[in-house]
Amino acid sequence: MPISLKGGKERTMKLELHRVKISKLAWGDATSAKDGVLTVNKEELLSVLAGDERLTKVDVDFAQPGESVRILPVKDVVEPRFKLEGAGGVFPGMLSDVETVGEGKTLVLSGAAVVTTGKIVRFQEGIIDMSGPGAEYTPYSATCNVVVILENAKGIDKHEYETACRMAGLKAAAYLAEKCAGAKVDAVETYESLSLKDMPAPPTLPKVAYLYMLQSQGLLHDTYLYGVDVKKILPTYLNPTEVMDGAIVSGNCVSACDKNNTYVHQNNPVIANMFKRHGVDFNFIGCIVTNENVTLLDKRRSSSYAVKLARTLGVDGLLISEEGFGNPDADLIMNCWKAERAGIKTTLLTDEYAGQDGASQSLADSCVEGDACVTAGNANEVIVLPPMDKVIGEPEEANVIAGGWQGSLAADGTITVELQAILGSTSELGYTKLGAYTI
Amino acid sequence: MVCRRLLVTNNPQLCPVVRSCVFVEGTTLDVLLRVRDHVHLGWRLLTHPLYGNLRPHQHLYRSILLERQEGSVDLESLDYMESALRIYTAESRRIMSADGIPEEHREDFAFVDYELIKESLLQYGMVTADGALPSGGRR
Repeated sequence: MPISLKGGKERTMKLELHRVKISKLAWGDATSAKDGVLTVNKEELLSVLAGDERLTKVDVDFAQPGESVRILPVKDVVEPRFKLEGAGGVFPGMLSDVETVGEGKTLVLSGAAVVTTGKIVRFQEGIIDMSGPGAEYTPYSATCNVVVILENAKGIDKHEYETACRMAGLKAAAYLAEKCAGAKVDAVETYESLSLKDMPAPPTLPKVAYLYMLQSQGLLHDTYLYGVDVKKILPTYLNPTEVMDGAIVSGNCVSACDKNNTYVHQNNPVIANMFKRHGVDFNFIGCIVTNENVTLLDKRRSSSYAVKLARTLGVDGLLISEEGFGNPDADLIMNCWKAERAGIKTTLLTDEYAGQDGASQSLADSCVEGDACVTAGNANEVIVLPPMDKVIGEPEEANVIAGGWQGSLAADGTITVELQAILGSTSELGYTKLGAYTI
Repeated sequence: MVCRRLLVTNNPQLCPVVRSCVFVEGTTLDVLLRVRDHVHLGWRLLTHPLYGNLRPHQHLYRSILLERQEGSVDLESLDYMESALRIYTAESRRIMSADGIPEEHREDFAFVDYELIKESLLQYGMVTADGALPSGGRR
């Protein structure tokens, strides 16, 4: 059944996600998807990734659910998608031209993911365990992962290496999905959103928008919107379906637990659930994307501008999600109190750094108006990850990764770390296995 | 010459390329304390005192940009500094020191600290010139 923000047909933006379900990976002569198996022609995939002089070595491996496999240091995760119909292509401004996306038909290899690994900023990458206790904390233990292993050319700058890794992940994801364009589709999801002229419908429900905060602290800590570095933007309006086509791409080398990698943007559960509740609990007005810059001037400018946009859209409520922690807490709080004082109710979505004992201050900032907050958990909780039969990447990176420490890696391969080191463990978009449920 | 803007840092890579810099021989906590003192002396924060992604015990260097202002103490800056100091002092036993950290890791920390302040330095005209910036953050 379509998930729809129904309105005037001619103004409606409609996106169909054509899902091909993947539950297994296999090497083969032709890259294709059939009966839940994604077959990959390794040579062809490597040829797609070849030719980047910033990389001396590119290799590909598999990591599948339930296997005794550990991947580290993980840089990004990307879901394979390909535009079947409609304007533009996936990852606009990065891989495709800059045409606005979010309409037409997009093929999704559901259950598959491209994982990039490489030592860029060593203490700011993550761990994925495909089985054992660590697997319970990362959503990427449940995906069939095509792991792209990348080594940089000697002497290149870290930001060039990051760009090369980012592009390799996007290329691999687009290649895999494109090759499966003729595959049998298991499910079609339809998302429709309408122009503001036709909103709200129905008029009796409150109007709620999503204030989508994106990490933009500096090179290697950036996010891209249609290829534009988000720290250079003023907050702007985004149609939710644009995000599903890869309009937002992660360029982050930051703490693994709560960085919003590209996969989680593509599958943003806040957007998916706001679509579901549209017309039932509220009218979902759309997304306002904003940044998290370093200077206080930028923080004041962006928070004021984002709230101005919300007021212009006439919203009654804002759901605000953060990315990262520390000084972005100041952005979160400014967004909160400025909206509340403008008469807009807010709910905040964040995670916590409350110390290993959970007794420390969870957020760096607060305000009295922030009285509705959802947490994705305490990133400082300690976990012991038993040895795995196979490690893709560099196991000794556990000693320098954020959330680990010198001695985190034991001689037998056991790793003791805080959840901070596990990719997506406290995702501030809620794309995590941790949760509290009413029973 | 009276400087209007000032970088306070313990990152040895930064002072040589910044117009006006106070180098702090010490830890990240020492940097925060020095900045707090400056705020009491009439400076205000241009950049937030906390990193965007690392806890106090997870980084070696900290760099904060200040501006001299007219009039009384800037209470917003003081509030941010006291709040940051509460977070750092709560973990004071775990604050990193450069002793015993391999050169390669120190360079990573210095590089990231540089990358995170670079945009602000350019924005406020604090770097001598684009050409004077260290390539990839290193000199």
